[in-house]
Amino acid sequence: MDIAVLVKGVPDFSEGSVEFHEDNTLDRGSTETVLNPNDHFALECARELKVKHGATIHVVTMGPPNYKEVLHEAAEFAGDEFYLLSDGKFAGADTWATAHALHAGLNEIGDLDLVIAGFKTADGETGHTGPQTSLMLDWPIITHCVEVNVQPEAETIGARRQLYGEAEHCEGPLPCFIVMDPDYEPSFHTASQRLRLKDILAEQAEIVEAEDFGEHVHTWGLEDLPVDEHVVGLRGSPTIVSGVDPIPQPPAERDAEEFGTSEEELREVAKLLVEKGGL
Amino acid sequence: MDYDVYEATQDASVGDMWVFCESRDGQLRDVSLEMLGKARRMMDDYNEEYDADENVVALVLGQDARGLAGECVQHGADVVYVAEDEQLVPFRLLPYTTVVANAALMRDEYKDYDKPRYFLFPATHNGRDLSATVAGKLDTGLASDCDDLYIEDAEIKHPFKTEGEETVFERTLHMVRPDFSGFEHSTILCLDNPHRDFHPQSASVIPGSFPVPEPDRDRLQEGRILQLPVKFREGDLDVTVTEREHLDDGVDLTDDERVVAVGRGIGEDPTEGLELGLELSDALGSGFGLSRGVITASYNVDGNVESYVAEERQIGETGQIVEPDVYIAAGISGAVQHKTGMDESEFICSINTDPEAPIKDFSNVYIHGDLFEVVPRLIDEIERIREGDE
Repeated sequence: MDIAVLVKGVPDFSEGSVEFHEDNTLDRGSTETVLNPNDHFALECARELKVKHGATIHVVTMGPPNYKEVLHEAAEFAGDEFYLLSDGKFAGADTWATAHALHAGLNEIGDLDLVIAGFKTADGETGHTGPQTSLMLDWPIITHCVEVNVQPEAETIGARRQLYGEAEHCEGPLPCFIVMDPDYEPSFHTASQRLRLKDILAEQAEIVEAEDFGEHVHTWGLEDLPVDEHVVGLRGSPTIVSGVDPIPQPPAERDAEEFGTSEEELREVAKLLVEKGGL
Repeated sequence: MDYDVYEATQDASVGDMWVFCESRDGQLRDVSLEMLGKARRMMDDYNEEYDADENVVALVLGQDARGLAGECVQHGADVVYVAEDEQLVPFRLLPYTTVVANAALMRDEYKDYDKPRYFLFPATHNGRDLSATVAGKLDTGLASDCDDLYIEDAEIKHPFKTEGEETVFERTLHMVRPDFSGFEHSTILCLDNPHRDFHPQSASVIPGSFPVPEPDRDRLQEGRILQLPVKFREGDLDVTVTEREHLDDGVDLTDDERVVAVGRGIGEDPTEGLELGLELSDALGSGFGLSRGVITASYNVDGNVESYVAEERQIGETGQIVEPDVYIAAGISGAVQHKTGMDESEFICSINTDPEAPIKDFSNVYIHGDLFEVVPRLIDEIERIREGDE
């Protein structure tokens, strides 16, 4: 089985890593790029299916040359082959233009049975690129997956989708495009699966530690891919960001009484909480 | 190209604001009514500003769609397209994509333009997916998870769209969204290229961003209800839903009299931070919530608290809106998303190391200190007082 996983590099939003300009807008230049946290679930799902059925996992991203680091981070989870779609003409793409480039990359890899994407990215947070790439492939799609089962012989896939307040089980044919929900967790039922997982993790560690990791990344530019420059990058994007504003802070609405951390002060706050809380 | 999308030239004719009204089990979701109200206000202003006569067009698909049309009219729609077909229950992405995209491109007794001018979708699980695929089918752009929208002319200079010249794009939908985990607000515009038309300008709207309008029965006399043709493409029905279940509503913090919530202030030791929050919540017999930041941070936490880091505990614009008697915000800076979810609380106590944190501006009591130091001692004091009472 051949599985492609779409991943993205995003600014590191973990505490203390975010840098701001003086006007309170995000300083992207100074904020480190990391693998989009939601993409971990897509990689883990590919790995789960590799454990259970055997698979070659193709990890694909689009970005500047330094996004090899993002693929390197992805390799800690899963991946046999790595692809960086990188070209100045891909830059500045919105989700629709990104979908065109990813679609071309997936076609170039060819013969895939399954494509897996994470849910929203931590920076754009649109959740559009997966469904739009799937639309271009003209494949069946199942989004918000929390469990995935594949029957490779029957060429079918089953998945549990989770939405607010409801869940459903879906069945469909392969090839298929799936988008993982952040509540997905891999499940391994047998000892042999757990052993296989251990072996695969050891293989991944070797890939990660290899000094020549970067040399094994397939790097494709516009000319390597079956796509027209009019539909990718800034040129191919229907949307633009016309303004970015720090979220305005309204004037104070309550006149907070300020307390320090002395015993008396905390006791006074505790009293207020008990009293106001009707305890 | 192995998919079929509409490819329009610059000369496409466009009109109206379309609203995809999501329903579930034969009931319109609140967000559908919220969008209709907002669309009504925007198009009333639009018609006045541009001396135009364009409408709000609602789309309702699935179970009892026809029965919901009147409600759409009362809440702001001029025209309602309905489609009832057994294949449209329950929601499935590809059949819905085909029916909605075909509707946007067809012509009929009412629709005499190529494509909608604007198109709104709810930013729900299914609504957001649908917005992406429909926009793709129509070869246009969209902004997701917007919390404000307005129409005005936009003066833009862009290397491709305007070939570097200042150009005015008339009647542009400005789509405003909280971005980058709530650090910023971005305004997104969807603008034509010189030889490529990008309409409808499309957006998905965060539930709760706009009020549900008062229903107006007088509107019923004017409203038009029309049937949509239902035709699927090969492959649309390949994915089947074999089982559906209602989940427990999950964690509901909206009825709690007391709520303790933690934010990114737990970052130094997320496991301990969550444990402390839960202990404080025990001491007060309160609900336990999180700021959005805790969810987007993807902390690695120990198994004993892992299940508490869940979207169902998120308080704020995209989570639950709570109004308890007492709300404690520990290590939460108070971004506007969070504020929306809790600022109606009767009594707000914040604990933060940063005296400049916005949360202070809507707190009754602010403790200047580190939650890791303050919370355990506060728990002791609360327990002492409560034991003393017994």
